[in-house]
Amino acid sequence: MFKAVVEFFQSYNPMTLTILRDATIETLIMVGASTALASFAGLPVGILLATTSKDHILEQSFLNRILGGIVNLGRSIPFIILMVAIIPFTRKVAGTSIGTTAAIVPLTVAAVPFVARLVEGAFLEIDSGVIEAAESMGASPLQIIFKVMIPEALPALILAVTMTSVNLIGYSAMAGAIGGGGLGDLAIRYGYQRFRGDIMLQTVIILVVLVQGIQMLGDKIAQRLYHRK
Amino acid sequence: MIRLNNVVKTFPGKTAVHALQGIDLHIPAGQIFGIIGQSGAGKSTLVRCINMLERPDEGEVWVNGLLINNLGGRRLRDERKKIGMIFQHFNLLKSRTVYKNIAFPLELAGFPKGEIAARVKSLAELVGLEDRLDAYPSQLSGGQKQRVGIARALATEPDLLLCDEATSALDPETTKSVLQLLRRINSELGLTIVLITHEMAVIQEICDRVAVLEDGRVQEVGTVVDVFTRPRSTAAKRMLQGFLQPTVPDKLAEAGKKLLRLTFIDQKAHQPIMSRLVREHNVDVNILFGRIDQMKDTPFGVLMVEMDGDSEQIDTAVQFLQEQQVEVEVLG
Ligand SMILES: Nc1ncnc2c1ncn2[C@@H]1O[C@H](COP(=O)(O)OP(=O)(O)OP(=O)(O)O)[C@@H](O)[C@H]1O
Ligand SMILES: [Mg+2]
Repeated sequence: MFKAVVEFFQSYNPMTLTILRDATIETLIMVGASTALASFAGLPVGILLATTSKDHILEQSFLNRILGGIVNLGRSIPFIILMVAIIPFTRKVAGTSIGTTAAIVPLTVAAVPFVARLVEGAFLEIDSGVIEAAESMGASPLQIIFKVMIPEALPALILAVTMTSVNLIGYSAMAGAIGGGGLGDLAIRYGYQRFRGDIMLQTVIILVVLVQGIQMLGDKIAQRLYHRK
Repeated sequence: MIRLNNVVKTFPGKTAVHALQGIDLHIPAGQIFGIIGQSGAGKSTLVRCINMLERPDEGEVWVNGLLINNLGGRRLRDERKKIGMIFQHFNLLKSRTVYKNIAFPLELAGFPKGEIAARVKSLAELVGLEDRLDAYPSQLSGGQKQRVGIARALATEPDLLLCDEATSALDPETTKSVLQLLRRINSELGLTIVLITHEMAVIQEICDRVAVLEDGRVQEVGTVVDVFTRPRSTAAKRMLQGFLQPTVPDKLAEAGKKLLRLTFIDQKAHQPIMSRLVREHNVDVNILFGRIDQMKDTPFGVLMVEMDGDSEQIDTAVQFLQEQQVEVEVLG
């Protein structure tokens, strides 16, 4: 399918093709990097949320409530506002507040609470009996996290990362609007401002293909790891 | 082996549940000890207090001479490695093969790879799963899953095995084979087994001693033979009703005749006592119900009889039976 799309572009205009290719690469960089960073940061938060919940291995209701509140706060701020609000922070981290690299910062910040909730959900899905069995064998909390919870929740964690990256594709289009580059940026600049409906359509097709591809890949990996009926 | 002193556990809530209300219990080493009670009696809570999955609010839990409810952190985890546990719903790790499940407690304890492989192999043989080591739990039957659970529980060579309704999710045939496995483990490895269940048949099949639990209290403790044939508490009597104690329809209990329940235990179960009774004591005996069975290794028989004759003859007949160490209960 992807090949067909490429051929369609090739028969077209080499200039357009270059533009589309560069924008696709920028999107992939933004989404890839922010997904990786957000997963890295969101995993421990999600573990903390799950393990400090009631009747779990590190039950800490106060900490759990505080953390849950912060995560909810993060999730309730609209991305476009978050992006603008943290510009000073972005500048500090990325050295600039515009461009693809800079866009990775707000995308990551926005995705961390999202990942954390998904990870928490994946962990709370694990049968409590299995965790209890590990406890009865003398497993320490760390052993339970790394030898029971993460392996048992792995398919769900893969799906969580998949869902995050799909969401981030959408967000990255918004980030593009304030100079982040990528397909969203392209669609606005050419498709909308210069009335290039064809480019608009092509970016949309590429986005659809990306989302489908990522979802299929994620499903496939999760399926392979899934050993329950 | 295990001693519980006044163990109390209350679950707080809108209506607090007094799950354990002062349990005193001694569980000797090397035996299969059954705890029976109806749903909600507190059986799971009790057994979970032995390895501190549940912390008692009051009281002492001694395991192997160690006051276990004072332990926490590392010390507790080390003690838990010496106590195996199996569960009603098996609680295997779905992401691990049979091999990896059995290896799990050994990994936790930091055994070297070679040692793990050797132990897993011999455990798999013990439970009869040596050809399913690469299967995932989802590919196993309930009985096979419980065998994995047993192998896993035995991996660190504990001297105590706790079983929480280990056969309740299994069909009767599979239950029998899992119970036979537990029995073999008990006799071959000398492992103490604490087994909780709501099924009398499970207790009858493999237990040496039994405690009857009701409303968070131990109502009666004794050998299975004693409790099953001479229940003293109302809880035990109620649980046994219809199990070994047949109820006779009123119609059959004809007026003027004595209705007796006779329980023969061990070697008495196969001696010609009844024919001597009729020959030597000149009474008529009409058998209403009879059953011969076995409690673990002890054979026993139950007979429900009507006895006809004059009352003096009946009295001496009953006396004769008691001299033969037959349990006699006059029902009417
Ligand atoms: N974590 C808990 N929180 C609140 N109440 C609990 C908890 N665990 C058990 N209980 C209550 O304590 C009582 C005893 O429960 P327990 O599980 O020990 O019974 P049981 O004898 O094992 O019953 P069953 O045969 O149904 O498993 C029940 O009334 C139960 O509702
Ligand atoms: Mg129970």
